[in-house]
Amino acid sequence: MSASDLITIQGRWGFDYTYFAGEAATRFFRELMAHRHILGTRCPACRRLLVPARSFCDACMERTTDWERVGPEGTLETFTIITTAFPGLPKPPIVMAYVTLDGADTALINIVRGEDLSDIEAAAQRLNTQPRVAVRFVDEPKGRITDFWFELLPQATQSAAPRDGASG
Amino acid sequence: MRPVAIVGVGQTLYCRSHADKSSRELIWSAAKEALDDAGMSMNDIDVVVAGVAPDALAGEASVERSGMMGRGLPFMRVNTGGVTGSSTVFAGASYIRARRAKAVLVFALERMGQATTSQQVFNTIFDPIYEKDFPLTTITMAALRASMLMRLYGYTHRHWAEIAARNYRHAARNPLAHIRRVVTPEEVLQSPLLAWPIHRMEACPMSEGACAMVLVDAEHAAGRRPVWIQGYASTSDSYAMGDRIHRPEATLVDLLSLRLSAQKAYKEAGVTDPRRQIRVVELYSAFSSAEAMAYPALGFCTSPEGPAFVEQQLVDPTLPVFNPSGGPQGANPVGATAMVRIAECALQVRGTAGDRQVDGVERAVATGQGGATQFSTVCVLGRHPTS
Repeated sequence: MSASDLITIQGRWGFDYTYFAGEAATRFFRELMAHRHILGTRCPACRRLLVPARSFCDACMERTTDWERVGPEGTLETFTIITTAFPGLPKPPIVMAYVTLDGADTALINIVRGEDLSDIEAAAQRLNTQPRVAVRFVDEPKGRITDFWFELLPQATQSAAPRDGASG
Repeated sequence: MRPVAIVGVGQTLYCRSHADKSSRELIWSAAKEALDDAGMSMNDIDVVVAGVAPDALAGEASVERSGMMGRGLPFMRVNTGGVTGSSTVFAGASYIRARRAKAVLVFALERMGQATTSQQVFNTIFDPIYEKDFPLTTITMAALRASMLMRLYGYTHRHWAEIAARNYRHAARNPLAHIRRVVTPEEVLQSPLLAWPIHRMEACPMSEGACAMVLVDAEHAAGRRPVWIQGYASTSDSYAMGDRIHRPEATLVDLLSLRLSAQKAYKEAGVTDPRRQIRVVELYSAFSSAEAMAYPALGFCTSPEGPAFVEQQLVDPTLPVFNPSGGPQGANPVGATAMVRIAECALQVRGTAGDRQVDGVERAVATGQGGATQFSTVCVLGRHPTS
């Protein structure tokens, strides 16, 4: 049978969902909206400050205890520059990175702004030197992880910046 | 440990879409081929284990029900993302080791040709609270690691391109592969940049297809052409990738779960010197950079030696042959890929791999990588049972 003879049937999944963030993420977002800061939770067993905040440490199986502020500056650990558009996803070019905010023992992912992307390869080489970044908040936070982003700090401040946040 | 043998292998072609077959027909055709290869029928089978990854890729919920074959048998589905295929084999092998079955039919299906926007589907596997709002996909997840490998160990674009070109050379000899065109490293580097540092031709294709195998105990292996599962292990890791960046025992690019799986599976199989004792390695590496990340975890080199090892394995015939089938860059039917790795190793050990056959394969190793490497599997196959 030729390909044009084969029958195909159109389908579509368009289900709607309401995702439950849970109490820990709710507090993380409530405090972000009220105070414009980022919180982590500490594991009493391994002592790591986990960011973004969560109710338990999955490595130790322990409930986290203390809530602590981190940042607002941090170190960009690893990144990608998205250069190709995919249906249903934000339009490129986009820099996305894991950043360790000062005081945190883990990195969190978000969008990075402030890099000149006119030459992707040159931008990538600059971004792959663990530059310093700072958290910036949107004007009207909604209780989403997109309420903030990472802004690259000017080159001049890079070398003088503290690197005491990361334990690794 | 009670020995387990693979006595039948069935695979469909792997291609962008099998418009000529329904999901049920794909599963049936691989399973029938595996049973015929084993010289067995459904009456000889004690258990069926089905491997299918996210339903949304097929657009068919509970798609494992497409795999109804025979009647009156225990049936279970396994879904552990990219390692679905190998987890399915391990579940079947565990039935035999536990003496709960003498013969198990395992199959794995990928039907993603029906999805028109697979990266959008892949975005839904990420955490809906803290991650999914970002363009996290299988591609960007790999890119975040590749850039870290370049910063830490000095890998270059050239390393990723050379690995990809080697995989395409091998895939060209595999009649089941989806991509069967020899591609030079230069062509790889000139292909469009998807997400720095990953070029399109360093990524796997989106493939459909099904793979099936018959697993049996020693009694049923007698008189057939058995390939023995000498050791297998599956290991998990922390959920958040960001939690692994500073971890002293293994960072995000050290693949702790693959390293632990290799250690356990090698111990069961009696592998103490992987460079010499393993002839063929079939890697679940959907991106060429992910292949480099697997070498140290499997004990072929240390992490800092990685870039040199990439260059060495291209020219040193005493080293194991990596991905003689072409690996996932030749075809990546996601939910089936980790089973395909084991099936290809079985064909290599049995000596029936056709044009892609490597000489003198006594022992082969197949890996699986799933989720954001929350799951890793290693399976060691050989001509002889170890115990």
